[in-house]
Amino acid sequence: MFSYVFMKILENRPRSYDRAMDKASRGRVKQMKEDVAAEVPNGSRVLEIGCGTGELAAMCIARGSTVEGFDTSPTMVEVARRRIEEKGLSDKFTVEEMGVDGMDSLLDRTYDAVVSTLVFSELSDDERRYALKNAHRVLKPGSICVIADEVQPRTSGKKVLYFMIRGPVLAVSYLVSKAITRPIEDLTGEMKAAGFSVIKEVRSHDDAFALVVGALEGVSS
Amino acid sequence: MNPLAFIWGFFFRLFPCPTRLGLLRIGNPSKESPVLVTCNFYITVRRLFRALKGLNLWLLVADSKGVNVWCAAGGEEFNTRSVVSAAKTSGIADLVDHRRLILPPLGAPGICAKNVREETGWSIHWGPVRMKDIPRYLEQGCRRDENMKRATYNWKERLDTGLGSLFPFYFIGALCFLMFAGDLLLPYLVVGAATFLLFMLACPYLPGKHGLTKVIILDLVLGAVLVITEIWHIPSSFSLRAYLIIAMISLLIYGTELGGLASTLRSDLDPFMAKLGIGVVGNVCWSGTIRTDLLLGRRLLVFRRVRCIGCWSCVEVCPQGVWEMAEDKRAVFAHPESCTACRGCLVQCQSEAICLEPNTKHTVAA
Repeated sequence: MFSYVFMKILENRPRSYDRAMDKASRGRVKQMKEDVAAEVPNGSRVLEIGCGTGELAAMCIARGSTVEGFDTSPTMVEVARRRIEEKGLSDKFTVEEMGVDGMDSLLDRTYDAVVSTLVFSELSDDERRYALKNAHRVLKPGSICVIADEVQPRTSGKKVLYFMIRGPVLAVSYLVSKAITRPIEDLTGEMKAAGFSVIKEVRSHDDAFALVVGALEGVSS
Repeated sequence: MNPLAFIWGFFFRLFPCPTRLGLLRIGNPSKESPVLVTCNFYITVRRLFRALKGLNLWLLVADSKGVNVWCAAGGEEFNTRSVVSAAKTSGIADLVDHRRLILPPLGAPGICAKNVREETGWSIHWGPVRMKDIPRYLEQGCRRDENMKRATYNWKERLDTGLGSLFPFYFIGALCFLMFAGDLLLPYLVVGAATFLLFMLACPYLPGKHGLTKVIILDLVLGAVLVITEIWHIPSSFSLRAYLIIAMISLLIYGTELGGLASTLRSDLDPFMAKLGIGVVGNVCWSGTIRTDLLLGRRLLVFRRVRCIGCWSCVEVCPQGVWEMAEDKRAVFAHPESCTACRGCLVQCQSEAICLEPNTKHTVAA
């Protein structure tokens, strides 16, 4: 059925996801995850929003942290769980199939860091607000929230160039992978609105990716 | 209105046309006002605004990846997660005193009412199939009469879905003629549009059960006319031959997936592609889905009546009236011949009385 089959989901290919993403982004995505992991203090208890196949979680674990992640994609969660099993990480990494709407079930003041990469650009305005509000709630005083994602360039020239390139790429990406993302207009502003003090913002050369570190005021217990 | 979004959403419905997600106010809603849930397809939201004019209610636009309710639910894009997420993250709980969500019943193949209820604490009510019935449904205290539960496919709906789904093919055809046979562009535009109109208006009355059968019969008739003019050298111009060939090809395109355009018909293309062994192209999945398996008869919808708890879910969501409630307060698989394999009943059944099994000879087990 024409109208319908166009919308059917091709099952994700999570096994090759990290490799394909790495190749498509010419190593930028992997580097972005490494940058995020580098912001997390060693030995932290980390919550990862949209953990995917667990690549970032593995980087945090390599730095002595423990990670609790969640993702809405059952296939991604399955691959992450396989990673846990294969690498013997069951005491350091747990994964739930859940969306940001399930964050209300997490306990207050539990984590030393909340991290997320390339997830917020897939969320609606309400979902992002809800996720940041809950991230603020579940973090211990003095801890950090690190978000790295696709953002809108700040200058008009770069914006025009970005959307001209992005249009066709988005069309191809939709036809192949069904993925639709919306670059975030003001990630820093949204983090501030959720109550974080933004202590660091790093932009990519084309101004289309940003890594933002928000801190919770107070002394860590 | 955004004219570009309107043109894209209306004529290129095979592709997504998203609108902003979240909560919208219709009129001046209060804490008691009903909460309607819909998809984030631009055209649907716009039409809802028109249909709900003069009412006071909350409209919760949930993620369907910019696709209409029926298609997105069938493709599992408009699903339990989208509704749960919209209900929890929009802040609607702080704005109303009740906990009732009214969902579009054509979303039943994607949204499991039981799971939404369990995850959000909101009760689920299926609204009318057609949005024009919403004001009357609300006036009646959120009660649906039988007409509000059944999908139709009248001439207006046929033209609407036909234009939305087939226009891209007409458009591509026009581009091809423009590039390679400019002198035939005008005949193509006229004949292509005329065959579309005639086929869409007349298709219920044409012989044949499926769209493809109907157009093959029509093509045979047109082909016979073509052969007769050629064999008996009936004086004809090149244009007549060209018109006939254009009409035959256009009909073939319009009719091949007639079933895919309506919620009242079974898809023809899914099983056909699956039979050809074409499983997946890009993000389009042609085989291996429950729907295709049901259409091909590889799996059967089995009703285990002893398990039925009389929750009415199947009766409530089937747009074809396949299910009926018997005197013993258990469902009856009354009209399996009308089933379009949408999976709505399967997703909503609360006691697993409706389930899938590999093909056996009996569809109803005691």
